[in-house]
Amino acid sequence: MTAIVSASHEDVPIRPWRGRILPYCLLTPAVLATLVVVFLPMVEAIVTSLYDFILWKPNASRFVGLGNYLKLLRDPVFWISAGHTAIWIGLTVPLQMGLGLIAALLLNRQFPWRGLARALVVIPWALPSVVIALVWRWIYDPNTGILNELLLRLHIIESAVPWLADPDKALYAIIATLTWQGFPFFAVMILAGLQSIPESQYEAAAIDGAGAWQQFRHVTLPGISGILATAGLLRIIWVANSVDVIFVMTGGGPGYATFTLPLYAFVKARQNLDFGYGTAIAVTFSLLLAGVVALYIARSSREVAS
Amino acid sequence: MRKPMTILLAVCAIAAGLASAGLAQAETVRFWYHFDNPENPMSTLIERFQASHPGIKIEAENIPWNSYYDNLYTSIVGGNAPDAAMVKLFAQPRLIEMGALEPIKARIDAWPGKTDLLDNLLSLNQGPAGAQYYLPVQYVVLYLYYRADMFAAANLQPPKTCDEFLSAAKALTKAPEVYGFGFRGGKGGWDQWGTFVFSQGARLGKGGLTTPEAIKANQWLIDLYRVHKIVPPSAPNDGFQEIISAFKSGKTAMTIHHIGSSADLVKALGDKVSAVPVPRCGPSAWTSYGDESLAIFSASKVKDAAWKWISFLAEGENNVQFNQATGQLTVTKSGAKGWKLHERRFVDATVASLPFAQVLPQTPETTEFVNTVWSTTMQRALTGQITAEQMMREIEALYD
Repeated sequence: MTAIVSASHEDVPIRPWRGRILPYCLLTPAVLATLVVVFLPMVEAIVTSLYDFILWKPNASRFVGLGNYLKLLRDPVFWISAGHTAIWIGLTVPLQMGLGLIAALLLNRQFPWRGLARALVVIPWALPSVVIALVWRWIYDPNTGILNELLLRLHIIESAVPWLADPDKALYAIIATLTWQGFPFFAVMILAGLQSIPESQYEAAAIDGAGAWQQFRHVTLPGISGILATAGLLRIIWVANSVDVIFVMTGGGPGYATFTLPLYAFVKARQNLDFGYGTAIAVTFSLLLAGVVALYIARSSREVAS
Repeated sequence: MRKPMTILLAVCAIAAGLASAGLAQAETVRFWYHFDNPENPMSTLIERFQASHPGIKIEAENIPWNSYYDNLYTSIVGGNAPDAAMVKLFAQPRLIEMGALEPIKARIDAWPGKTDLLDNLLSLNQGPAGAQYYLPVQYVVLYLYYRADMFAAANLQPPKTCDEFLSAAKALTKAPEVYGFGFRGGKGGWDQWGTFVFSQGARLGKGGLTTPEAIKANQWLIDLYRVHKIVPPSAPNDGFQEIISAFKSGKTAMTIHHIGSSADLVKALGDKVSAVPVPRCGPSAWTSYGDESLAIFSASKVKDAAWKWISFLAEGENNVQFNQATGQLTVTKSGAKGWKLHERRFVDATVASLPFAQVLPQTPETTEFVNTVWSTTMQRALTGQITAEQMMREIEALYD
């Protein structure tokens, strides 16, 4: 065995230095672009977060070290936003995944117009977030919205519910919107996974006496678990960072009822022009999210290696 | 050989001279504005201006209102500010602090159009220490829109005081079909709030919001929503679109806005809509003077051309055409004489409101009050998360 290995090593020709350097040359533009577009702003954000920097007071800018971070810990709105972010991610991603799984299982069955159904299911995902937010804002409108009208006609409610104006309901109303928007992503990914499971596995399971649930539990789920994990991690990152739908639907209101951490950072930096504090919130949130990102990178690396 | 070469050089020199003269002449003025009206007549105005000022090219950009000032401030800091723009008074202190504005007092004094400006507008727009940075281009005053048909059916008169206002609103409320008053609890509603709170003695600034009278006035307003329920349940998140569409659809019987929405309301409601000055809640009434001016930015390299453009927009017929798009009122005496763009009843309500129309104190904190603090505190007070007093204390903390 050793002989074979050493022989094969000897067979590998030593590449000239130009050949060895070529991959790095080809990678350089992409790496440089990433450095300039991604890493430079990140470093800039970290530096800015160490300053008391309000955009309309450029001459009053001063270095405060970790002052903004200490202020953050005492800021009740930060903690409210952090709590909402946890609910936001914790509900939206599992709901999208669950709905996507059901949609994928249905779309994987044989039925007439299946191709059309598969195309139509992607529509919520394909629509721009701002359009979705505006559409759902009108659906929820207590004066003219269709949701209240429907519920009133079905006698489920007695008077119109201000879905987005009630602090106890607003966040969940937006979560429902984002669930509707994001489930096609899971549906398409899971559908691809389902189609890669060999039919023979189901046949073998059926011969062994496995029922529908057991087939799902022991054949389908293991077959798509890799996709569920990767898509779930990706979606956690996207949902966590998503502010457009919330911003258009409620602007964070009523009060702080739909503030999440990225939205709070946006409001502070973009509307109050407090760039120092705004970037401190953004950097803190990035650190919190870094764990998920690390998991995703580890997983991707493993997939590439295998 | 020498002669052709000399001719060639001469031709090149002339061509280069012409080219550089052309470059020097083609000054480009970048101008930012915000029009909600899709029938935007800016291109006609630009064509007319460019025809009469051949050396100047106008690049006008309609910036969405919701992010207008966010974009403006960041563009100034980023060194990419326009040469001139539409601006409001509440932004003036910040722009001055940023050193972004070009003083234009000398230019206004030398401008023939100055005498045609309506009285008092320049002094309302004045900057600190007598400096002048703003040239008025349009104005509005907030008043009370009411459904004349609903009032007539209920045998009610338009309210003159807050007590009358509350009685009328209660009488007209038939929830959930109709509510007495469409209150804008979302962004931009501070001017409606001001009508009820500032007129009862509250004042934006240190010590001005936490007096017992000011807190009582705020409580009175919150009670319209929480106790009397004469305001739609959606109020905490309602913005301009929501209050106007609710009024148009008959969901609300009164709301507060300015003449800019009259054309739209008349189109939907005809004679069923009318207007009167806002009710008086205390010793004196308070309503918001809605200004819009033009300014030149100090970083501009084409200030003379920018001045020619903004002064063109503030002159007689041009200003009338400008206001046709925004639905607001002209700032010129000549334009006001033959004013036919609005129904008389709305112009009358505006003119009757002018004597007590006011602007907010011009401090940098006011911008934050308008942009974020008012709406977040108001929404929390309306939904019972904080009290009327806590809301006032939070706003006042801005001015500490």
